[in-house]
Amino acid sequence: MNTQFIADGVVAGATIALGATGVTLTYSIMRFSNFAHGELISCGGYLTLLLAGGIGSIATASAVPIDPFSVGWGVLAAGLIAMIATGLLALLLDALLFRRLRGAGASISVVMASFGASMALRALLEVVFTSKPAYFSRELEIATPVAFGLRATPDQLLLVVVAAVLVAALYLLLGHTSLGRSMRAVSENPALARVGGIDVGRVERATWLIGGALACASGVMLGLVVQIRPFMGFDLLLPLFAAAILGGIGSVPGALIGGLIIGLSEAATVQWLGAEWRAGVAFAVLIAMLLVRPQGLFASRL
Amino acid sequence: MMASPMALAVEELVAGYEADVPIVNRASLAVAAGEIVALLGPNGAGKSTLVKAVAGLVPIASGRVLLGGDDIAHRPTHELVRAGLAFVPQTDNVFTRLSVDDNLRLAVAVLARCKRSARLEAGYALFPDLRRQRRLPAGGLSGGQRQMLAIARALVSSPRALMLDEPSAGLSPKMVGEVFTKLAEIRDTGVGILLVEQNVKAALGLADRLCVLVGGVNRLDGRPAELARSPELASLYLGSGHAAGRAAGGT
Repeated sequence: MNTQFIADGVVAGATIALGATGVTLTYSIMRFSNFAHGELISCGGYLTLLLAGGIGSIATASAVPIDPFSVGWGVLAAGLIAMIATGLLALLLDALLFRRLRGAGASISVVMASFGASMALRALLEVVFTSKPAYFSRELEIATPVAFGLRATPDQLLLVVVAAVLVAALYLLLGHTSLGRSMRAVSENPALARVGGIDVGRVERATWLIGGALACASGVMLGLVVQIRPFMGFDLLLPLFAAAILGGIGSVPGALIGGLIIGLSEAATVQWLGAEWRAGVAFAVLIAMLLVRPQGLFASRL
Repeated sequence: MMASPMALAVEELVAGYEADVPIVNRASLAVAAGEIVALLGPNGAGKSTLVKAVAGLVPIASGRVLLGGDDIAHRPTHELVRAGLAFVPQTDNVFTRLSVDDNLRLAVAVLARCKRSARLEAGYALFPDLRRQRRLPAGGLSGGQRQMLAIARALVSSPRALMLDEPSAGLSPKMVGEVFTKLAEIRDTGVGILLVEQNVKAALGLADRLCVLVGGVNRLDGRPAELARSPELASLYLGSGHAAGRAAGGT
């Protein structure tokens, strides 16, 4: 049996998991399904591309690939700065658009507003960058054997490690820091949190920064292993929500496991059924899960 | 009459969920440091609404809330506990998905960093049962211990004034006794306590002063010994006389 789908699925799953974590955090802390989360991924990818270009024009050496990877330190540095910038973009979207609607308790309006923001940002990316795919690097990478006959490129291995580190860091933050405890408290009972002296607005801002930064990381990963397109995040939206719901919305480990399951199912589908079925599989897994265990794998929340 | 400094004073407070429907209507009361004041009154008198308004959970239309001399009536809710006012709601008063320890750590997070661990320890010293169950999610505690955790959460923030909304609700008589003993201990450390209570008998035993709210305004005020003999208190609780029909709906 050809098991190569496992390597491809883990890489795709890590990308989905980073985005799903942001979706799950936004939902459990602000009770809000943000359909513009995919565009944060796309914007993260393009911001990194722009910044890497900028760094490359100042320091030419930054574009020289670091062996064995396909990109130089310019892209990595750009990715880090873009994570902060994407977090700030998420914060700006909330301040301009979502916050006033969230406050009014108009849950359907805020979901519609996030659809609108999603369309507007996507259109903006198409106007500025055209719909032609872009790449961080023109280097071709050869997949090397890893273990058990599986092959992966060095980039893919690096990305899986980075994604694991990011999710682990978030998990530790939620469990062992003052901010993390405040986030869990607001997710359970915002009124009691306020009475207990927690500035709920501050917790919400931190959530946007974290969710935006992780979305950007997801966009950079997608840009490295596939390509950068204005629709890259939008096409990931269904898998993101499927992963978040599969894992149990509000659960960070759930988003990670959910992301991996969706990524692996997609890769398995491509291998055995054909690439045209890929887009449907997240839907199928989501519906199956909702029928069998609607609370998700991890019923416990944040 | 009172030598001790004022912990909390409410002056001519008007408050309610909707701007044109005041549930608390020009109520005034005061709690001195080291004193327990029980807020009594028939159903719908506005007792709960009064403490929730003071705690920043119900909009205040007019009036003043003085905490150690500062008017805190229109401060953001989350700043009140730093200003020295702690509130224990009647229900959902602990974070059930967080451990006992995380509940208390969140509560001390409002203090300066250097004071946090000492206050946490002081909290555990006052509530030794909680220390044994520190790793347990608060949702796994019994009703009485959950109430103790809620009080401990309020207390470790070092409040000047502590308000509790029906801390005896749903507890066994034995647990009510333990909770009230704890409140008396807290009072003796100099905290001013304002307590909403349905159980008049229990309140008479614990409180230093009683304040009876009817139709959103305080009608009687005095020491338990004086009010216990008052025919007016009895008539209010029997629902007769002027109390009837004034209930503004919802406490």
